[in-house]
Amino acid sequence: MSVVTLVARDELRMMVRNRVAMIGLALLMLLTLTAVLSAWMYQRGVSELRARHAHAAESTFDAQPDRHPHRMVHYGSFIFRPLGPLAAFDPGVDAFTGSSMFLEGHRQNTANFGDVRQSSPLIRFGQLTPAFILQAVAPLLLVFLGYGSLARETERGTLRMLILQGVARGKIVTGKLLALGLVALIAGMPAMIGLAAIAVRQDTPALPVLTIAAGYAAYLALWAVLIVLISAWVRRSRDALLVLVAIWAVSTILLPRAAAGLADAEIPLANRLQTDVAIGRDLRAIGDSHNPDDPHFAAFKRSVLDRYGVSRIEDLPINYKGVVALEGERLTSSLFDHYAAKSFAAQARQNAMVDLAGLLSPAIALRAMSMAAAGTDLDGHRRFLEQAEAYRYALVQRLNSMQAQDVSYLDDMATDPGADRRKRVSAANWQEIPDFRFAAPDGATLTAAALPSLIMVLAWLAVALAMLALVTRKLGLRR
Amino acid sequence: MNLWAHEFRLLMRQRLPMAALALLTILTVASLALGIAEVSRQRDAISAIPAAQSQDIAAVADYIDSTKDAGSAAYYSYHPTWDSPSPLAFAALGMRDVSPYILRVRALGLEAQIYDGDTFNPELALTGHLDFAFVLVFLAPLFVIALFHDIVSGEREAGRQRMLEALPHGGTALWQRRGALRLILLWAGLALPFVVAAGLEGVSVGPILAIGALIAAYLLFWVGLAALVSRFRRSSVANAAILAAAWLLLVLVLPTLANVAINATVPVHQGAEIALAHREEVNRAWDIPREDTMRRFYAHHPEWSGSAPLGPDFHYKWYLAFHQNGDESVAPQVHAYRAGLESREAAARTVGILLPSVGAQMLLTQMANTDLSAQLRYQDRIRAFHKRLRTFYYGYLFNDLPFGRKDFDRVPEFDSRT
Amino acid sequence: MPNIDPILISDLTLDYGGGDLVLDGLSLAVPAGSITALLGGNGAGKSTTLAALLGFARPRSGAITVCGIDPVMDPDLARRRMAYLPENVALYEHLTAMENAEYLLALSGERVPVAGIEDALAAAALQKRAWHQRLGGFSKGMRQKVAIAVALLREVPVLLLDEPTSGLDPRATADFNQLLIEVRARGAAVLMVTHDLLSAADIADRIAFLEAGRVAYEVAASGAERFDVRGLHARFQLTAERLAA
Repeated sequence: MSVVTLVARDELRMMVRNRVAMIGLALLMLLTLTAVLSAWMYQRGVSELRARHAHAAESTFDAQPDRHPHRMVHYGSFIFRPLGPLAAFDPGVDAFTGSSMFLEGHRQNTANFGDVRQSSPLIRFGQLTPAFILQAVAPLLLVFLGYGSLARETERGTLRMLILQGVARGKIVTGKLLALGLVALIAGMPAMIGLAAIAVRQDTPALPVLTIAAGYAAYLALWAVLIVLISAWVRRSRDALLVLVAIWAVSTILLPRAAAGLADAEIPLANRLQTDVAIGRDLRAIGDSHNPDDPHFAAFKRSVLDRYGVSRIEDLPINYKGVVALEGERLTSSLFDHYAAKSFAAQARQNAMVDLAGLLSPAIALRAMSMAAAGTDLDGHRRFLEQAEAYRYALVQRLNSMQAQDVSYLDDMATDPGADRRKRVSAANWQEIPDFRFAAPDGATLTAAALPSLIMVLAWLAVALAMLALVTRKLGLRR
Repeated sequence: MNLWAHEFRLLMRQRLPMAALALLTILTVASLALGIAEVSRQRDAISAIPAAQSQDIAAVADYIDSTKDAGSAAYYSYHPTWDSPSPLAFAALGMRDVSPYILRVRALGLEAQIYDGDTFNPELALTGHLDFAFVLVFLAPLFVIALFHDIVSGEREAGRQRMLEALPHGGTALWQRRGALRLILLWAGLALPFVVAAGLEGVSVGPILAIGALIAAYLLFWVGLAALVSRFRRSSVANAAILAAAWLLLVLVLPTLANVAINATVPVHQGAEIALAHREEVNRAWDIPREDTMRRFYAHHPEWSGSAPLGPDFHYKWYLAFHQNGDESVAPQVHAYRAGLESREAAARTVGILLPSVGAQMLLTQMANTDLSAQLRYQDRIRAFHKRLRTFYYGYLFNDLPFGRKDFDRVPEFDSRT
Repeated sequence: MPNIDPILISDLTLDYGGGDLVLDGLSLAVPAGSITALLGGNGAGKSTTLAALLGFARPRSGAITVCGIDPVMDPDLARRRMAYLPENVALYEHLTAMENAEYLLALSGERVPVAGIEDALAAAALQKRAWHQRLGGFSKGMRQKVAIAVALLREVPVLLLDEPTSGLDPRATADFNQLLIEVRARGAAVLMVTHDLLSAADIADRIAFLEAGRVAYEVAASGAERFDVRGLHARFQLTAERLAA
């Protein structure tokens, strides 16, 4: 048997004899299984609930009677953000964003009813998901199992004895690393089994699954290296434990919050009131459709009349009210897009600032990687909001076009008792309007988004390995 | 020098405890600074409301003044409400990041408006705040562990335990003195910066004292745990490992498990169902005789039933009446939804009795008025204000009074205190 | 109580709960102004005797007093009369010799001015330049001197020593013995646990051999010859062999 396996076997035997550590490992695996199941059930439950709600909303939309198209603009559409399969591994921001949205004309509503406002307040302590276990809990367990790997031997003088007997330092360290790596593998196994169970579902893209698996494997490997590194560096096992717990607490608990707090303080977001008021102001600056003397709408009217070669709107072959609605929606929608893009740009800058902190904490980089690959990060939410807005605009304009084409101007202006009946268009029109379907990003898109953070995690691993190589050379030389 | 001074000098010469105390103080100060910055941003946003609002309302007034139509005034006017941060909010920001603290409402159906959110970055919210509550609940126990895990075992490992215990003032009294000194210093590292911050923020003496006591109680729990663990006479390193594992369980793992358990055992019908039902109810009015709508409305609100009957033209009193009918039709669901949220919070309180981490966090957010109950109270204030708005506009609509520029000055204003 | 010996143990039995007696009818008296060396093999009960005197162990039967005080009944009062030096005098390495002395005195409930401590350190023969150095680099002998200085200042009537000369070089051993003679001259009763017969024979007034929890035999110094070291050594060896067999 080679020296490396001997050292590894000896170290594993030490761990197995440590009853507390074994109970800890067993508990971790149990906890991970609970997390896998609970996240899986949550994803299932939420998906089904949202699908059911979406279906109910779609059928009521289709079941609307004959109506004036503008009524349907205000009846609007209720849509629900579907939850991707990988959310069962890392639900990311899902609970922190609204999952349902009311789409109507002239207005851009917020996504409402996020779980964070409906769940027990304990949700702010974190969610029990496989991602959370692997990011936060597993590394600390590895610390408990591995802090003494070399420090213990240094403390007792057995390390010196080994070295004096001619055992290469590199082999001792490799053996210890091997043992801890094996434990890391075992610790990560239940979560990976959960991931595999998600991966076999048809709608799961393969590439992000592999990215997630690689990222977490690298992360746990990084912790194994870091633990052996610190254990080799300090002289006493107590110091090794304290240093490692401190590193863990700073990198996984403190720095993410510090980075988020700074990003929040440094890059302000405009609140909804300010945005709404600004949109109103911009709209007034463009023109006021209520004001007959408004230059913009006067010019617009001129151009429409010219296009059809008539001098009065009553002579137009189309309903001028519908045409104005189309123009009005075009204007408001462009402003919505403009302000939403501004807000998202600010949020992206905030996230970029947090990502930069990934240079200080691998946990931050890993979390970004995980959410990006699972499609549950801010970009995932943004995709939903942008598709929702595109759908809203298409829907409203389609209805406005109906008003312009299928409702005559004279009927639209009439107030006689039968006018209401004449203004309506057939209910068949509603069924022809396609339902909202969220286009999930493909695997390549998700993976590409996760790649920078994955590289950062790998870079951390490389740096840690290099440092371990350096420390190994001096192992046993320090007093 | 008395015994305490000697212990203090001894502690001052030790690297680990002093570094830990310094770090805790720095983190406390940083968290307080971030909390105060956040709260003052929120106050600024609230104090910026009138300027933005007057600009907005002036434009509406310009338009309405030409028609004098009270219905259009009600339809186009957005009325701001706000939830000012309490003086203590800086210490525990709670739910103020994910729940709106500014919400504009119209005199239309409230159930379609009251659940709206404000803009926030969900990734930052997911991470959570670095506020004082976080430093106390999450980080302070780690410092207790760093300072208490080796009070006795460290002396034993250094070979001094016997000699110290053989001295008249050594032994148990010595360990207690050392523990008390460390506890006082930890408390000071947390509480003194807090008191300064609280003073700057104008917190009154009562809450300051209460939080000072809360800090002491929470620290004492962890100190007690450390003392308990040290009774097993294990090595310092074993003590530290056991305590860190206990921290992991009590602060990180058990609360997440409890959250899963609460959400599973206390079902809450999704708010989205209210929104869907409300929208159906409101839109149905366009398809039923208008008189039906008015009859139903007058049955609940006889004070307006003397109003003139509807003519053939569109009248906003009908429009607002069916919006209010819509609100009233979902009232049972709204009530159940709210009761569900409250029982989830109550369940979390029960967990807080068993888990000091959860208990401390919930007490802090409760005192700081940043918990779920505070959000619900804000919703109550919005509802009350909305009621006043309706009554105000109905006075014009149901009596067919003209609504001119001057009437905009009479619109009820939100009172954030009631 | 002028006639009571500062250390008085009579017919002491003690077990640590397992049923096996660690002390089994131990009787021992150390008069004021004398040094008694307690010799014995591993497990003979030497350290337990010290623990019983310090009030850390509860006897099953028999009597034990320190200056007439029962350390089991009133350990605090008894400990005021005693100074105890463990085998490795571990002090606070990040404090100076002076500060260590001040700290230990404070824990003993003594208030001594700086000049007094300096006198005691001088009396304990600690070089002056070491007084204000941190203890980090001190040898065992130097640390013992600091502890002895504290004992001198406390003017305790009883000094308990656990293996004081193990690991000391001959020069340091001689220094230490000189120090003990100084302590004895001030009237203290010194009980020194050791398995170093030569060192014991050098300064002890009496040597008690402990065997299976009781004093097997006891010899007192006599005349200029003091002890028959050769004879004692042979007996000691014999005992050890008998125990091993």
